[in-house]
Amino acid sequence: MAEIDTSGGGGRKKGGKVRAKKMSTRVDMTPMVDLGFLLITFFMLATTMSKPTSMTLSVPHKEKDETQKDTEPLKASKVLTIFMGKNNEVYLLDGIAADDEKAPAALEKVAYGTQLREGIFKAKQRVNSMFPPEEDGSEPFVAVLKPTPVSSYKNLVDVLDEMAITKTKRYALVDYLTDAETKLLGDKIDP
Amino acid sequence: MAKVRPKKSAPFIDMTAMTDVAFLLLTFFIMTATFKNNEAAEITTPSSISQIKVPDEDIVVISIDPEGKVFFSVDGQPVRISMLENIGSAKGITFTDEEKYKFSIQPGFGFPVAQLKSWLGMSPEQMKQVEQPGIPVDSTGVSELADWVFAARKANPKVRIALKGDNAAKFPVFKDVLSNLQSQNINRFNLITSSEEPPAGFRQDD
Repeated sequence: MAEIDTSGGGGRKKGGKVRAKKMSTRVDMTPMVDLGFLLITFFMLATTMSKPTSMTLSVPHKEKDETQKDTEPLKASKVLTIFMGKNNEVYLLDGIAADDEKAPAALEKVAYGTQLREGIFKAKQRVNSMFPPEEDGSEPFVAVLKPTPVSSYKNLVDVLDEMAITKTKRYALVDYLTDAETKLLGDKIDP
Repeated sequence: MAKVRPKKSAPFIDMTAMTDVAFLLLTFFIMTATFKNNEAAEITTPSSISQIKVPDEDIVVISIDPEGKVFFSVDGQPVRISMLENIGSAKGITFTDEEKYKFSIQPGFGFPVAQLKSWLGMSPEQMKQVEQPGIPVDSTGVSELADWVFAARKANPKVRIALKGDNAAKFPVFKDVLSNLQSQNINRFNLITSSEEPPAGFRQDD
């Protein structure tokens, strides 16, 4: 009498007593799974998975008074100037000042990405092999970034990113063009 | 004599394991969820290899949308309220408590101060739909954006500035924003980007 019928519901034993039909203890989980996946779907769509990252940008203090001591001007041969033009074009001027007569021939148009990176590496290698390290131990190579009014914010971030990739520590963001540079770039920076 | 029939049973799949998995995943997603807040403008940021995460707290985000409109957002409702009070007292406008509350629940905004009051007078649905003109910015460095930055820093001195520009935003707008920040002697800020894989062979310096 004390035995437990484990055969599930319904089965009647041959010749046994008629017992009350036992209900199955199994719960149908299907609706619960449905609900679970519905909620998962909701949370997956509502979540922003990748947190945005940020790059720090430090700009020099704006000098209120011009008491800043004169510093030696940079040698043009140590400098790679990167002009950001329109339509995602970028122009490199390696080691030549913009007012030099050889500048128009030396101005090199490259694309963002690998080409730009190769250009930076090439200039970096040239400068670092030509000049000894600076007094404070940093490399002599300097990059000057010149965004033109027709360039986009993405271009700026891309170039800053190239600075991080090429590990160029000495770079300057200069937001105006000299007359010689404007002349050099000509219609490349027309809106 | 009756034929022996194969015993019929309803096909029954044990869903318990599946429930376990479903709820495990559900728990994970609930735990990690940070909700998208509906921002004033849709902005696609450029990508960089930078690994630094944007802080969640004490942050002012200045967004630049593709048309060059500038939006401003700051975290924390009490900070937003005291920022509004600061700007109100600077510009000689008083805001009612209801307007302050309505302002504090907006994630970001892009209105000139003069139009702010009429925007805050709208119903919440209208506030979402209305076209925001952006905060006036110019190259002199003393435009309304500078006032907002000042008010936000007064409300929360620990606040850090982050710039979030769209891919297509033109450089001159960025330059104007920059000069507004520099006029406040803010020379160090974060540019918000999405992350991308560094090129092959790149190793991060320690």
